[in-house]
This record gives sequence, structure tokens and C-alpha cells, in this order.
Amino acid sequence: MQRPQQRYRRRRIYVRRKICRFCADKSITLDFKDADLLKHFITERGKILPRRVTGTCAKHQRRLTNAVKKARIMALIPFTSGHALKD
Amino acid sequence: MKLRHYETMFLLHPELSSDDRDDAIEKFSSIITHDGGQVVHTDKWPLKKLAYKVQKQTHGYYVVMDFGAKSSTIQELTRNFRLDERVMKFITTKLDDEFNPEEAAKKYAEAEKEGESEAEPSSESSTEGKEEE
Ligand SMILES: [Zn+2]
Repeated sequence: MQRPQQRYRRRRIYVRRKICRFCADKSITLDFKDADLLKHFITERGKILPRRVTGTCAKHQRRLTNAVKKARIMALIPFTSGHALKD
Repeated sequence: MKLRHYETMFLLHPELSSDDRDDAIEKFSSIITHDGGQVVHTDKWPLKKLAYKVQKQTHGYYVVMDFGAKSSTIQELTRNFRLDERVMKFITTKLDDEFNPEEAAKKYAEAEKEGESEAEPSSESSTEGKEEE
């Protein structure tokens, strides 16, 4: 009587794994010059979103991080919202 | 010495005229070519709003150069970027250890055929900057 219930609960806890955007669409090139793309992966304050939020794979998260850092250096995206010019 | 594939992006001062900007671009591409390098493509972005103030400026002109050069040329190029007051920011990225001019040029030829899909991210973001004014 209790067994099936437990199994059911376990199934409910299961979290759907998000798929990496860059693996799913090979046509997207991770380019630091593409600020509009990078904006999807940073917070309001300009911080890089963690993998667990965006679902990006380890390889692409590494490249994404490098791209974000280059884009910040070139003033394409802000380091922090504190110094950012408002839109 | 072997040529490697590089990409350089630099930010020019917003008060420069179109001729001034072309002069600056010409200077940097000649540093590359005079040292045995080859410029594949130069992309001049329209005036764009910056994410934060740079040298008290809120806007600037970005230029992207795709080229093949020796590693020693990059040192010379970097030295010139630092000294040049027209340049507010610059970054050079090595795209590949091997430079194949035909292969590098292909991407721009294809982009032109497909209605400049390669230039899309830059032109999109720059129109954004213009609308804000
Ligand atoms: Zn991936």
C-alpha cells in the first residue's frame, strides 16, 4: 500500500534537466562582440549567471565566461550596474 | 616566422571624423601588412553607446579587424594602440595558430551572399544605441 506512493513521490521530485543552448543550436557562435547574446547570461547587476540557472554545459560555460570578460573589458557590457550608463 | 590568425577590436574616440577614423584604421592595418601580415576583413561599426563611461565618453566607434600576422607584429600593434590617443580601448584575440587566408575570407563572402548575416550582431546593437539618442 505504501510502496507505490513512495515511488510516485520520488518521480515528482525529479527535476527536468535544462539543455545547453550552445549544444542545442550549433549555429550560435559564442562571440564576445555579440553583447545581445551575452546579456541573456548575466544578471541585472552584470554578474555571470551560474550553470545551474541557465543549463549551459561545462564546456560552453567556460567559453561564455571568457566571452563575458572580454565584452566587459571592451565596454560592450557593464562590469557592474553601479557604473553602467542607463539604457 | 609563421603567420597566426588574429582578431583585434578597438574603440575609437567619438569626436573623430570619418576621415580621422579611416586614418587610424589605415595606420593599424599598415603595421600588419608592412610586417608580412595580411588583413582579411575590417568591420567598422557605427557610433555605439558604451556600457560604461570610458575616458569620460559615453559613445564610441568600434572597429574589428580579422587578419593573419606574426606574433611579433602583435607586440608592435599593441605598443601603437597604447600610444595612440584616438584609441580608447583595444583587445586582440588569437583565433587560431594557423592562418589560412582563403579559409578566413570564406566566412565574409558567405555572409555577404546571405544578406550580411555575419555583420548582424554589430549592426543590431548599433541601431539600438542610435535609437536611445
Ligand atoms: Zn554546451
